[in-house]
Amino acid sequence: MKLLVCLKQILDPDVPARDFQIDPAVKAARRGGANLVTNIFCENAVETALQFREAAGGDVKITALCYGESSAEDCLRKAMAMTVDEACLVERDGNTNPDAAAVGRVLAAAIRRLEQDGGPFDAVLVGRESGDWGVGQTGGLLAEELGRPALGFVESLQPGNGGVTLRRQTDVGIEVAEAEPPFLVTITNNEDNVPRIPKTRDVMMSYRKPLQKLSLADLELDSEEIRAGSSIFEVEEIFIPTDEVECELAEGDTLEERVDQLAKRIHEVVASIG
Amino acid sequence: MDPTQATREVFWNIEYTWLVYVLMVPTLAIFGWGFWLKIRRWRAGQPAVRFDRLGERLQLFLRNAVGQGRTIRSRYAGVFHTLVYTGFIVLFLATTVVAIHHDTPLHIMKGHFYLVFQSLIVDVFGLFVLVGVALAAIRRWISKPNLLVYTDEASWILVTIFVMALTGFMVEGWRIAVTDDPWAAWSPIGNVFALASDPLMSDAAMQTGHVVIWWFHLVVAFGFIAWVPFSKMSHVFTAPLNIFTANLDGYGGSLKTIDFETAERFGINHLGDFTWKDLLDFDACTECGRCTDVCPANTVGKSLSPRDIILDLQGLMHRQGDQFLLNGNGNGNGSGANASDELLPIIDQKTAVSPEALFACTTCAACMEACPVHIEQMPKIVDARRYLVMEEADFPEGMMDMMNSLESRQHPFAGTQFSRVDWTEGLDIDVMAEMDDPHEAEVLMWVGCGGALVERNRNTVRATAKLLRKAGVKFAILGREESCTGDPARRVGNEFLFEMLAKGNVETMQRYGVRKVVTSCPHCFNSFRNEYPHFGGSYEVYHHTQFLDQLLESGRLDGHGAADSSSGSSTITFHDPCYLGRHNGEYEAPRNLLAKVGGARQVEMERSRNTSFCCGGGGGMAFVDEPPDQRVNQERAQEAVDTGADVVAVGCPFCATMLDDGVNARRGDREVKVRDVAELLWDAVGDSDQTVP
Repeated sequence: MKLLVCLKQILDPDVPARDFQIDPAVKAARRGGANLVTNIFCENAVETALQFREAAGGDVKITALCYGESSAEDCLRKAMAMTVDEACLVERDGNTNPDAAAVGRVLAAAIRRLEQDGGPFDAVLVGRESGDWGVGQTGGLLAEELGRPALGFVESLQPGNGGVTLRRQTDVGIEVAEAEPPFLVTITNNEDNVPRIPKTRDVMMSYRKPLQKLSLADLELDSEEIRAGSSIFEVEEIFIPTDEVECELAEGDTLEERVDQLAKRIHEVVASIG
Repeated sequence: MDPTQATREVFWNIEYTWLVYVLMVPTLAIFGWGFWLKIRRWRAGQPAVRFDRLGERLQLFLRNAVGQGRTIRSRYAGVFHTLVYTGFIVLFLATTVVAIHHDTPLHIMKGHFYLVFQSLIVDVFGLFVLVGVALAAIRRWISKPNLLVYTDEASWILVTIFVMALTGFMVEGWRIAVTDDPWAAWSPIGNVFALASDPLMSDAAMQTGHVVIWWFHLVVAFGFIAWVPFSKMSHVFTAPLNIFTANLDGYGGSLKTIDFETAERFGINHLGDFTWKDLLDFDACTECGRCTDVCPANTVGKSLSPRDIILDLQGLMHRQGDQFLLNGNGNGNGSGANASDELLPIIDQKTAVSPEALFACTTCAACMEACPVHIEQMPKIVDARRYLVMEEADFPEGMMDMMNSLESRQHPFAGTQFSRVDWTEGLDIDVMAEMDDPHEAEVLMWVGCGGALVERNRNTVRATAKLLRKAGVKFAILGREESCTGDPARRVGNEFLFEMLAKGNVETMQRYGVRKVVTSCPHCFNSFRNEYPHFGGSYEVYHHTQFLDQLLESGRLDGHGAADSSSGSSTITFHDPCYLGRHNGEYEAPRNLLAKVGGARQVEMERSRNTSFCCGGGGGMAFVDEPPDQRVNQERAQEAVDTGADVVAVGCPFCATMLDDGVNARRGDREVKVRDVAELLWDAVGDSDQTVP
């Protein structure tokens, strides 16, 4: 069996609030001093694929795919350290903020190229959403591009009778489904697919595993077209909401005085808001 | 009676004396064979350089082996061990005198030497042995402290030594009585036996008793000698050797580096991967239990027991015997991983070397400081952790988050709300990357993650910076270019991550030509001082208390500040950070500074200086949730609170947070504050218009 996991490199969501800044021109977060990390749901997807391989008893090949800047190689190396077999990076072309539809098209083109060379992928795993924009559409749009059936919010894949048994989270509980490859799933997190810490030997070995690099031109995609995006929505403005809190203390020598003062101020404030 | 003619007949009343020499042959053969087995096992270990710096080694040997420097730290055990130890030496010398007198032409056992040494002194030291063994027996059989291991072997050793000494006095007494020895008074203990036996026994009975007991004494003594290499009595030889070959670089520099290019395994899970010195450590253990007695994890009820780790590994080494020799890759000639995999793993849930115990260690090195024979427990624990972390990726969850954060953010505090430079707000501190000439900075102030990113410690680094400025020190920081030194990764066992971080920092510091470093984190301090030189980073390193102490001493820092010294009226107790004190031997600088905190009274906790008790935060434990009833920080906080001090002074960001939590849980209604020495000093000598906010 062959599995493909899509990864996204994002700005560290744990960046301290004061370090988080926005570049209004690009309508995106500024990198600043923050680190880049693999999106957590993508790591959950890698872990889910690895656990499927372990349950299936080995004869499963896992490929990691990323559309991102050259720094995203770190995410792919880490996935390979977690024992993903091979990786492919589609290098981003100056487009700092591609929308989900554009990403879906790039990934689909890359997947088709990889399938040409190495045969079809039985399952494509995509993180539920990313920790930066949280749009949550890439999985669905990619499935559309690939013409595959898709299921969202899946938390585990197990080898089933001839197919794959999926567990997915729904509003009313866990749904168990049997799926016949090929298909696409978006992966959510649960306590069982916490990404593993790689063994040091595997970290070292990850540098010896194949990492293929492709450009948009290699995929015969027009970078201008990708940059233009094809979403049904456009980001008009992004900003950091500010909460301004004014604090005043109720004055008074005794508790009664302070309570009276407090009540008086509440009345005044309520009246002023009208 | 001419005292110059005084002597006694060797082998009085004994026939077949040739039998003594015949019996000596198998005795010495077994003795030699036993030690040869041991030496062969040790030689199967990996190489270690422990016969260098002979002068220092000899000094250590004289102080702690011959002089029993560490053994006597424990009063009761120190007394009885000294009695038995000195008794053994004197009785051995006496036996040697007899041998020389009888078997060589040098008839030295006569005259005043015979009377004073061979009779009086030997009798007194023989009594020492009896008393010493009795005291040991009282402890082992009556008071039964927890730190001992209660084996039959240990009891038999006491019985055997007692019997040897007692029978020695019996044969001496009966000889004196039967021969009417004119020099009897010079052998007071033997004479007591003689006087007591005289009215009760006939000469013939005493003579028969003498022959029987004489041979019995000889057989017991020879048996004991043959038994030495197979029992913990072997410490008579292994302990001095272990002390001579001890690590001379301090506990802070006791972890090995790994060559990741060539290492077959990372960390240790097989005996053959230990060095010969590690294997010698196992055989040097006397089961005294002092390591476990002082272990913070053990004290609060966790399963970690350094004593049992050493003893279980000793047992494993003895059980594996020749198999270990054949399969181990000792001397680098073995067949490597496959062969070694047939060996039993050292990490075993069913023994003291369980993952749970290994991951309870705070690497405080109290065990190593307590060990009378310089066994190195902590590095072995880290060796085994390395195997679990790097080969098995098996470790507690808190440590996993910490390592994840180190990997992606170069600091261990996932979720911190601060950046590395937030604390400098309003202080206008030079950042090396923004300076025209970073070489202008006399010293790099290494802030450390614990100082910059943890709210309660930002005050400490602010105070340190202000004190440096007040003294006119030209300093700068690395700001966002600073990374964790890698200490928590290294202590947890992730040597790979540590090496990456260390190399990165060395590179950054090289870029700015850093030569002098001052830091308020003892963990960073230790890494720079003892570990970075292995990665090409050699600096003049100061803990902030050392640097500030020098500034005060030299007068650069004016100790007569106008600031509010209200804290001066308080009582302060100083908590020695493990990585400043035990690991690096600095106990005075912080205390000198506290003496400057106007009018404050210093009190000491019972466990202080080299016997200080860990705050519970070392070894990556600051990132692990301890069970509520097994918290090392609360144990320590209680001790601090019990001194009656209203300020607990610290010199480490990890101690500060651990003790803050602990003190808040244990202080009751009293107001007890945990404050860094730098904060207190700034309050005392800082400028009044610039008190630390």
